[in-house]
Order: sequence, then structure tokens, then C-alpha cells
Amino acid sequence: MAEPDAVQTFEDGLNEIRGAYGDALRGAKDEPELRLINGRYVGPQGELTKLLKLMPKLPADRRRELGQAANALKQEIQATFDAALHAIHRGAREAELTGPALDITLPGRWQMPGRLHPITRIRNEVLEIFLSLGFDIADGPEVELYENCFDKLGFPPDHPATDEHDTFFIQGNRSQDPESVLLRTQTSTIQIREMLKRQPPLAIVSPGAVYRRDDDATHSPMFFQLEGFLVDQDVTFAELKGVLTLFLRRLFDEHISVRFRASYFPFVEPGGEVDMSCVFCRAWEGDRGRTAACRVCKGTGWMEILGCGMIHPVVFENVGYDPEKYTGFAFGMGLDRIAMLKYGIPNIKLLYENDVRFLSQF
Amino acid sequence: MLVSYRWLQELCPVEADVAEVARRISLAGLEVESIEEKGHNLADVVVAEVRAKNPHPKRDNLTLVRVFDGEDELDVVCGASNVPEPGGRVLFARPGAVLPNGMEIAARKVGGVESSGMICSEAELAIGSDAEGIFVMAPDSEPLPGAPVAEALDLHDFILDVGLTPNRPDCLGHVGIAREIGVLFGVAYRPRKAAGPRKAFTAEAVFETSQPTIELAPLWDSVADLDDPPTLPEISVEIENGDRCPRYGAALVSGVRVAPSPFWLRYRLHNLGLRALSNVVDATNLILLEWGHPIHGFDLDHLRGSKVVVRLAKDGERMSTLDGVERTFSTDDLLICDGERPVAVAGVMGGLDSEIREETKDVLIECAYFDPRSIRRTSRRLGLHTDSSHRFERGVDPEAVPQVLASAAGLIAELGGGAVATTAIDRIASPREARTIRLRPSRAAQLLGTPVSAEESLRILKSLGCSIVEQGDAEIIAEPPSWRPDLQREVDLIEEVARVRGYDEIPTAVPRVHPSETGTPGLVKTVDALRDAAVTAGLYEAINYGFVSTEDLRKARVSTDAVRLANPLSEERAVMRTSLLPGLTGAAARAQRHGASAATLFEIARTFEPSGDALPCERTTLAIALAGQRRGWIGGADPFDVYDGKGVLAAILDRVFGRVPEVVPGEVPAFMHPKRSAVVTLESRPVGFVGEIHPDVADDLELIGRVVYAELDVAALYGLAEELGPPQAQGLPKFPAVTRDIAMLVREEYSAGEIAGALATASKGLAESVSLFDLYRGGQIPEGHRSLAFRVTYRDPEATLTDKQVDKVHASLAKVARDRFEATIR
Repeated sequence: MAEPDAVQTFEDGLNEIRGAYGDALRGAKDEPELRLINGRYVGPQGELTKLLKLMPKLPADRRRELGQAANALKQEIQATFDAALHAIHRGAREAELTGPALDITLPGRWQMPGRLHPITRIRNEVLEIFLSLGFDIADGPEVELYENCFDKLGFPPDHPATDEHDTFFIQGNRSQDPESVLLRTQTSTIQIREMLKRQPPLAIVSPGAVYRRDDDATHSPMFFQLEGFLVDQDVTFAELKGVLTLFLRRLFDEHISVRFRASYFPFVEPGGEVDMSCVFCRAWEGDRGRTAACRVCKGTGWMEILGCGMIHPVVFENVGYDPEKYTGFAFGMGLDRIAMLKYGIPNIKLLYENDVRFLSQF
Repeated sequence: MLVSYRWLQELCPVEADVAEVARRISLAGLEVESIEEKGHNLADVVVAEVRAKNPHPKRDNLTLVRVFDGEDELDVVCGASNVPEPGGRVLFARPGAVLPNGMEIAARKVGGVESSGMICSEAELAIGSDAEGIFVMAPDSEPLPGAPVAEALDLHDFILDVGLTPNRPDCLGHVGIAREIGVLFGVAYRPRKAAGPRKAFTAEAVFETSQPTIELAPLWDSVADLDDPPTLPEISVEIENGDRCPRYGAALVSGVRVAPSPFWLRYRLHNLGLRALSNVVDATNLILLEWGHPIHGFDLDHLRGSKVVVRLAKDGERMSTLDGVERTFSTDDLLICDGERPVAVAGVMGGLDSEIREETKDVLIECAYFDPRSIRRTSRRLGLHTDSSHRFERGVDPEAVPQVLASAAGLIAELGGGAVATTAIDRIASPREARTIRLRPSRAAQLLGTPVSAEESLRILKSLGCSIVEQGDAEIIAEPPSWRPDLQREVDLIEEVARVRGYDEIPTAVPRVHPSETGTPGLVKTVDALRDAAVTAGLYEAINYGFVSTEDLRKARVSTDAVRLANPLSEERAVMRTSLLPGLTGAAARAQRHGASAATLFEIARTFEPSGDALPCERTTLAIALAGQRRGWIGGADPFDVYDGKGVLAAILDRVFGRVPEVVPGEVPAFMHPKRSAVVTLESRPVGFVGEIHPDVADDLELIGRVVYAELDVAALYGLAEELGPPQAQGLPKFPAVTRDIAMLVREEYSAGEIAGALATASKGLAESVSLFDLYRGGQIPEGHRSLAFRVTYRDPEATLTDKQVDKVHASLAKVARDRFEATIR
């Protein structure tokens, strides 16, 4: 009868597999090879799988016992496999951790961000300071009426105060007529527009492009200004000084000195200009030799940075505010100039050439 | 304006060095832009006496001069033709001297003769403009040989360049600045004798219209030279337009001899940027620089009809001005005429015919006050900006007319050897209206934010020359001086108080700010967010000029119906841009010319379109240009194409609005590629376009290769943002998703987007997403077809999907693909 043979074959098979499996695995170099070898025993065509297919031929009384033995071998094999796999993983990790390093000098791989234009960058820096002080942003058109750019701001007709505002007029408009259309020469126009639209208290900053007919080494026919103003009851010159001093220290250096000089702009009275310590020779550090040799401040230790003043009562009258009730201050700055100072840009023309080699520096 | 520190000190001496004076006046509003020292750089240049003078042995045009420099006798070769006879004195640069122009003087041979030093001209020493001959000391001057030139000629000075604001015409002369220094240093300014051997006259002024003459009386050390002073001939002054010429004065100096001015005067003018011409002209210039009040000298012989008429020009009237240009006038131009014709453009420039010339004997001096606006209009119309118009258009001191006239007459007489007619004309056609201004010290304190007392206000106003009409603690009524047209209302006086006291004296304070309840306008926020997103997506921000040329617009095939400038700087910048395309692609083209491998640029700016209203329509647009190649990791690089444009827009819009845009076929501008561009929509609303630039346009714009361009309408996006509101959180899925792929062979004309959309619809809401994951052409794929593979993610939000459910839906998707798109499912 075949019965004892079947039992014998089965038992021999189990023993053979038990003996061979561990040795076979030891020859595996890596995980795929390990799995390949493993498959030879427990895969669909594997030795053990084939053996188990003999189960039905085993005598019924031995089947249970032999089945258990086969299961035990299966578990043994699984444990051996797990251990071998673990050893291979461990070995690979050890090899990675102790072996040669990756060439980390190869380039990084990601979409790099672009850059903001330096004027936008400085605009954002400036705005951030004023927003933190409670100012709002306002905007206005670049093509404007003469009256908003000059008349309402208190520029007297036929007055040399307009000399600094060599104006581009739109075709068909070249006079001082209030309805004349021009490119705004200053962002102060927004002062007028906002005051006509709203009632005090107002605290507003307005950056934007302005245009003047100057085009030489130090002037660009389009450039950027930022205008700010505060209107309320009892706004004082002392507060103007406080706000601008704070602003400049935050923007440049907390140690700089700031001084106010009398000056003239038709829409403010008293009017002033603001100087700060030269940021090129770092005048506040008191190195006299360095300051004396500074070509930017010409040895004075000061550089002009802002225009400012108390809003002229005539401006309030022009927008229908009562100048006895309200006072206010206004200031203006050239964002181009501030960007040039802060970022060491040597030539204003660079700002409008949009050379990628330049833009990528900010 | 250039100002001599020395002259200021003569007019108002203060104990402060030049740096301190400059600092103080700068802080008070007269900004000193630079200080230049004079007469300090002429070491080893001395006075020398000519001892002998012989022709050069070999060269005809040279002279061999033996000079005594106070120590030695030296032989010098000189090329000038005006070497004085022995005994005359010259300026001699010893060997070793370095001249202001950098020339080093050394002993050297000239034509075989040893020459030890150099005899100098004014120009070589930078003390004058005369380069014709050497400088010869006046015979009656004192300095002895060996005296350093700076001392011998009294050269030491500092020249300040003061940047004056247009509100301070009073400081357009040394007297005004000296007066200001007096105020700031607390020193009373008194007009006093300034440099030079000056005779001075004062005017017995009579400020009445009925009395058009004044007496000019000698002042200070002046002596009446003549027993019989000349009298003013019968000259009538008629002012036809009193509003344009409120006051006109004239004085006569007779018997002058026109000649070069003495050195002190020439040197002063030279340092202050004016060229010395002749004593009479130089005198008028010196008076201009001293008083800031332009005067004009007429040759009396060339004034016809014994008449001066001040009137408006007739339309088209002509006259040649001093600069030799014939000018045509309008009825808005004020002229000075004699009995027959115009002789000067009032306040701007004299006429050629009546100018002072060498043979002039009798000089009629004009000193007037003209309406500033009138002078400015004429000056602008003629394009003629002169030292005179500069002052008149800002407003000279009308009350200074008699004194300036007297001063000028005295100086001309002194320099030209003439005599002053002691009667002069002072015609007032329209008397100055004195104005009074109220100053409330309490208001000043309120505005400045620091206490201001009545006493201090009073002191400052008086020091400025204000007459006090009333004074009290609560208010002061003051009449500002005639030389301060800028003082018009209370706030002007408050500025004076603050300025004289010094802005530094005002403390700093922190204001109470009322932030608005609305905050930053949404459009501004949207622009900022788009800008940041564009940068994050890898783009570089460009800022272009708002104006371009019509040609730029034409080449770009964008609207040439543009806002045009009346007075552009050039045709290149003559119209306002109607599109950001020319500017941005211009930058891209430049980058390509520089050899950049990629230019990925964006700009957010306004375009301008004519509208029916006074002001054009300003539209804010975001434009993007991608030129060159997208860089792979190492080595790999592909040219940008429309999908890069689509991707960057998706990155930007997703960042700002949390939504990815759709790109759908639709109408795009003419400058875009007809087959490679499309409309961008967000939430089904069109917001812009993206694609490649039309190849013909790209050629015209000098772009290399395919350039991707996109625009988004910022206002439309902002409107959408307002509608969409902030992101709203969704619950996370509770049940697992199942993914299935569907691959198909389909003809090219069916777009992937169309198929994906149809598949999604067919899923009856079970497909969470349908995304293309493979695209293949060629190989086994028949011509005109492509293989597309989509991955469909199914999810039922309410339950776990069973395989059976998914199989069923997935089969329906395949059916749609077959039925609608003639697809072969693979």
C-alpha cells in the first residue's frame, strides 16, 4: 500500500525543507533574492506548498498530527524568513550609515521663488511700519485733474512752486485750468481725494507711481512716492516728529539721529524736510574719519530723506474741513530713493530696466 | 544761489564760523547744499616786481622777464603780451607751486632759456575768468613783492550754495540772508557799508503816489564830488498797467566812463558765478546779488522821446533782447518802452538797442516792482529764465525800490566816475496794501505741540521785521515786513516762531491714531496677494514705465487708441500703455539678448484707456511672460510652453483664491497664438487669458522662440474674491476612496479636459476626481490618435463603496468614452 510511503515522503519532505530552508536563505544578498528563495519553499509552486498538496493522500489518523507538524514548519520558516529579512534590512542600513556619503553637492531640486521688485519690497517695508501704527492704505488714479494735483493742494497759480513739478499733460490739456488732465506729479493728490470722500479722523498712507518731465542721471520720468497724512483734532507738529522719527529708526536703524529743517511745500505750514544720519558712513557710530570721507553725505553725516509739515489750512478749506477744528500732518518720500539707500542701488535707471540679473538680487 | 560768507559777515557780523552759520540757516529753511573755500589753495603764489623785460632770444612771441619775488630775482619766460614795464607788479608762481587746476610749477627750459616759475593770469589762479593776459597789480595797490597772493588780493572767502525754496524771495540777495542770520543769531541787522570803496546814497523816500520824485542823499563816508550835481532830465514815467507794475523808480548817473571793474568786484562776481563785463554792468549785478532786487541800466542816449512807458505789448510786437534774439510778444507781456518802441521785457531782459555799451555816458537805472505772476508767465512763454525773472516772479520787496536805486546809483557813480542826479523818480501806480495777521500763541502751542508764550512770539516777530499793531497775551496783531510776501496768515507766523526757535526745540510725541474700521481696501489686498503668489510661483517682478510709443503698441497688436501726452519727452514715451505686453515682453527680449536661459517675469500695473469722461479708465492687470527654458534638475531643460503658463496661473490663483482656474477655448486678443492660447476662468467667470504669443507678433517684438504670455484682470478677480469670501472648512472623508484607471485610444480632436469632464459627469457624483496620468502618441498608436489614461478616484461620502458598485460605475464611464468619444478602451 502506498500509505506508509506517503507518510514517509511527507515526513521526509518536512525534514528536508526544515534542513535546507535556513541554509538557502543564508545565501541571499538582498531582499529580492531573499524573497525569491523564500518563494521556492512557500510560493505557489514552492516545495512546502507542493508537499501540503499531498495532505489528502495521508492516512486520516495521521493527518492531524502531520498537519500540525507542517504548520509548525511553516511558522518556523516564517520566523526564519523574518529574521533573515530583518538582518538584510539591518545590514543595508548599517552599510548606508557607515558606507560612503551621498554626493550632497548635487543641486537642490524645487521650484525656487522669484523676487519682488526692490520698489515693491521697500514699499512693503514702509507700509508695514505705518500699518502697525494704525494707518490705512489708499489709492488714486495716475491720470489726474490739475485741480487735484495743484489747486486744491494750495499751489498758487503762476507760482514757481510748480517748477519742481515739470508736468506731463494729456493731449489737449496744457494749461493751469482746474479741469486740465495730467499725469500726477505727486501722490499728494490722494490726500485731496480721500479728504473729499471721508471725514476725520483719517490716518492714511498712499504709495504710487508719479510722473515728472525729468530724465537724467539722477531722475526718472516715472518714479514712486509714498504719501502719508493724519487728520484729527489736535494733531501736532510734535506728533509729526514722533511718527517720522519712529518710522526712520524702524526702517533703517534704531540708533540713527533724525533732524527736522524748515522747508516749503505749498500744502503744508509749517513745512519741513527731514534729515537722518547718513546710513553709508553710519554717522551715528561717531567715526569722524569715516564720515569725513563719506561721499554720500559729503562729510556732513546727514542725508535728506523726507518732506513733511502740518497740513495747510487752505487745503482743509479746499476740501471743506474746518481748519479751526482739525489739524493734521502730511509727509512724503521717494520710494526709489529709499530703496536706493537701503539696498545700495547706485543708479535709478536700474530700477526700470527690469534686467533679471538685477531683479534677482532682491 | 551762491552766497559769499565774507559778504554776509560784512553785512551782519556774527561770531560763528562758516560751518555754524551754514548749519543754522539750513535748519531755518535756507538749505546750504555745499560750502567751497576760496583763496586757500595758492601757496607759493606771490606778488613779484618786474625788474627787467627783454625779448626771448629765440622765440618771437615770448618775453624774458626778470622778477623779484621778495627774496630772489628770477628769470621767467612769459607768453603774455601785457607784461608791465619794470616796477610793475605781477602774480608769480614760484617753482614748486601747485595751481588750482593741478598744474605743478617747476623750473624748466623754454626755448633754450631757463624759466624759474610762472607769471599767472586770473584764470590760471581761478580768481577770475580773464585768460587773455597775465594779472597786473593796480599801480596804486599796496602789496609788496613776496606778499602771498591770497593776502595781497584779499582772496579768502567761503562760497555757500544755498538751495532756496520759492517762498523766500527775500533771501535771493545777500542783504536778505544777512537779515536772516541776524534773526537767527539774535544780532540786529543794520544795512551797512559792504566791500569796496563804496559811496552810498540813501533815498529820502516819499511813498505817495502823488509825489513821484525822491531825493537821493549821500550817506556815510560819501562826499559830494561835484559842486554842481547833474539834474535828472525831464523824463516822464507812465505806467499804463498799474496792476502789472505797481511801482517804478529811475535814477540817473551822468558822465560815467565804462571800463573794467576793479579786482574786488570782479573777484566777487566770479566767485558768485557771474562773469565780469564792465563796471556799470558789474555794478547792476552786484546790486542784484546784494539786494536780491534786479535793476536795469539803460543808455540814456538811446532812450527816445524822454519817456519811459510801462505797458502791455501789442499782439505780435517785436524786439531784440540783449542776447541778440528777436522776440515776439503777446498782449499778456509787459514791456518797458521809450517814447517810440519797446526797450526791455519788463523784469526779464533788456533790449539790445538800449544796452550799456563802451561809449555810454549817462545811465538811467531802473528799479521796479512787477507783478510776480505777470513776469512768470512772460518768462515761461519766452522760455527765458533770467536772474531777474527768477526774482521778480518770486516777488521782490516793493518798499526797497528807493534804497536799491540809491545804492545802485552810488555804486555806479563810484565805479564809473560819474555823478548821481540827486533827484530820482519813484512812481507808485498801485500802492502796496499792508496786511495784518493775527497770531494766537495758544493756537501756535496747539499746532506745534509745545508751549509758546506771547513774549517769545513777539520777540521773534519783531526780529523778523514785523510791525506790531496790537499785542496781548491772547493774540498779537502783526504787519509782516514788505520783503516777506510769504507771510499771509496765522499759520505762516506760527511757522516763523517754530523756525526761528528751531524745529529741534519741538519735542516728539506719539499721536493717537484712529484706524479705520474698513482697513486696507480689498483691491490693494488682492494686488498684494497676487504679487506674493506670483513670486512664490517663481516669477520676478518687473516695473515698467507707464508710457510707451505708439509704435510699441502697434507692434504688439494692442489698442492704439491710447491716452496721448501733450508734451512727451520723446516719441518713445508719448502715449500711456493700453497693455502691459510691450513693457513686459521688452524686458523678456532684453533678457534673451543678454543670454539669460530663462526670463520668468510678471508685472501688476495699470493700463489706460480713453473713456468718455475727463479721466481715462485705469485698469489694473497682472501680466506674466515666460521666455526661454524651464530648468530640469540636472541638465534637463525644456522650452516653456502654454502648460507652464497654465501651471503658473494655477499656482497663483490657488494660492490667492484657493481655487484652480479652468482654461477653456475662447476668444483671445489678436497678439496671442490662435491655436495655442485660451481663456482663463475661475468659478466659470472669465478672468484672463493664457497662451503663446502669436509668432508674427513675437517676431515684431524681437522675441526668440515661443514666449508664453498671460494676463489676469485684477478687478474681476477682486470682485470674485469678494463673492467667494474666505475659505470654508469641509469635513474630512469618513469612508475610503477606490481608484480605478481607464485607458483609451482616442482621436486627437477630443480634448483631454472634455473627456475628463464627461467621465466625471458620468460617475453620477461618485468620482471625486478624474485626472490624466498618461498621454502617449506614436508607436502602435494610429496617426491622428493618442492614448489617454485617466485615474478615477471614487468615493461615496456616506458609505464604503463595494467593488461591485465601483465596477458598475466604471463600466458606465467606459461606455461614455466609447459612445461619445469613439474611444477604444485599452
